[in-house]
Amino acid sequence: MFELKPMLSALWRNKVSAMLIALQIALTLAIVSNAVTIIQERQEKIARPTGIDVENLIAVTFMPVPADYDMAGAVAADLDLMRSMPGVVDASVTNQAPISGSGSASGYFFEPNQEVGDITANYYQTDPHFINTLGLKLTAGRNFREDEMDILGPHQNYNADVAIITQQFADQAFPGESALGKYLYGGRDDHPTQIIGIVERHIGAWPGWSLAGNVVFYPVMAEGNHKRYLVRTEPGQRDEIFKQLEDKLAERDPQRVIHLETTENHMKETYSSDNLMIKVLTLVVSLLTFIVALGIVGLTIFWINQRAKQIGIRRALGASRRNISRYFLLENSIIAITGLVLGGTAAMLINGLIASNFSQPLLSLPMLITCALVLLLVSLLAALVPALRAANISPAMATRSV
Amino acid sequence: MLKMHNIRKSYRTDTIETHALRDFSLEVNEGEFVSVTGPSGSGKTTFLNIAGLLETPTGGEYLLDGQEVGNLSDRERSRMRNEKIGFIFQGFNLIPDLNLFDNIDVPLRYRGFNGKERRRRIERALEQVGLSARAKHLPAQLSGGQQQRVAIARALAGEPRFLLADEPTGNLDSLMARQVMELLEFINEWGTTIVMVTHDPDLARRAQRNIQIVDGQVSDLRQSIAQQEIATA
Repeated sequence: MFELKPMLSALWRNKVSAMLIALQIALTLAIVSNAVTIIQERQEKIARPTGIDVENLIAVTFMPVPADYDMAGAVAADLDLMRSMPGVVDASVTNQAPISGSGSASGYFFEPNQEVGDITANYYQTDPHFINTLGLKLTAGRNFREDEMDILGPHQNYNADVAIITQQFADQAFPGESALGKYLYGGRDDHPTQIIGIVERHIGAWPGWSLAGNVVFYPVMAEGNHKRYLVRTEPGQRDEIFKQLEDKLAERDPQRVIHLETTENHMKETYSSDNLMIKVLTLVVSLLTFIVALGIVGLTIFWINQRAKQIGIRRALGASRRNISRYFLLENSIIAITGLVLGGTAAMLINGLIASNFSQPLLSLPMLITCALVLLLVSLLAALVPALRAANISPAMATRSV
Repeated sequence: MLKMHNIRKSYRTDTIETHALRDFSLEVNEGEFVSVTGPSGSGKTTFLNIAGLLETPTGGEYLLDGQEVGNLSDRERSRMRNEKIGFIFQGFNLIPDLNLFDNIDVPLRYRGFNGKERRRRIERALEQVGLSARAKHLPAQLSGGQQQRVAIARALAGEPRFLLADEPTGNLDSLMARQVMELLEFINEWGTTIVMVTHDPDLARRAQRNIQIVDGQVSDLRQSIAQQEIATA
């Protein structure tokens, strides 16, 4: 019943308009599949588990005005104040705010006095409250003790005795074995830092970093010209605590400039370019798909109007309405599949160029096939209404002289 | 073969209702060759469309091959057109993008024949109209007479019991017209019932019976040709 061969020869005789639509579909697939791959990669990046209680965290930064400020005393008093506030789960001092795009990193060795073969990790200088404050999950070992806490003066070198690391960093540093009890070293350094605990995961300060998730925590507070706290609130209390915090801290000590930011906001800012990219590409994908659908609707209507008499003849010769609509849907499918095959090849070539020149993700075959199937469905839906309209052309059209 | 009783067909716009056929009754027997004449706008084409199941009547009764066709679904009407009726149109109505072979193949595909059976029927039909050597040609590469012969071959390939011809020689010169007419007579001799609408009294005379339609009604079933002859004598 399918008129594939005569349909192909009829299409071949009208190849210009058919090829134009096929090329439009090809171009759309090439762009859409690459755009969707980038969208998916960005969405996966944003959706990666952070390992921390993002929704209930507040980062507080302050800078004292006096030059001879008692930083250690101020920190101790602030932490006491914040931990005593109703609705606050815990608070910690830290050198960096998570997912803020700003932090510190270092290369780590696993034998003393090494120069090559290090693995880089983002590091926190914090206190024994950090696990509870961030909402991390300790999976092995123990937390820092208060007596392990160091306070560093300005320009003082720090040689940590103990550290807690993330599971991801542990797996990279000591593949196939437990990292607990083992040692980290700085470059050309023989001071061992023993790993006393492992937390399940934490993405660190830079989610877009290729090594995001490699994180080391030290029990130390370095005195500097500014200080940062992390405050975790009870669920639903964050915004209220946020309002109170600045006033309370300023009230306790007005000689400083205080800035507060939620970790959720940090995350939004950090991912703003990714979110923008997702929005722009989604718009491009939607517009292209809409335009290709319009093109197919237009071409199908044009062909149907052009072939109204021919449809009437077919109906007179015994074609049912279903035969006619199926004819146009099949014809449209042939054009779409031709376009999709061309577009699939183009998509792979374009992806090769993008991936190698702009560090973008590789287009997978399942993704390409999914995009192709979606476009095929769109093209069939676009052709459906005109095809059903064609089926309503009267067989009496065959005897009309137009 | 064909029995119409009090068939009515009217077309309605917002303001006007036109009666194309009024109380139209006609019977055509199996194996007959009937010509239908009448002035332009008399309702010939409407009659042909209703007879060929291309249109449905507004009222009346129509039996084709003993079956009342008024209540058939679109699918059943399509199947009946495909299996029982062959059409020959004034403008040939070949599909310009398809070669002769594929043109004749169109109704056979709708019939559901397998490839071998379709090929057999197409080759035989082309042979009957003397165009076997042109099977791969496009309609545009043929003369008008040849195109009409292809249209006849397309109608013959389905082996219809009832052939409807709408001005089959209207676009042909006299030589071609005569050839086509001879072909139709030959087909009729095989037993196919033919109803032919024509303007040409010479062609109408060659049919076994002539029907004249005037103002949507059959004016005289048996005597019209004789009257024309008396009038022109």
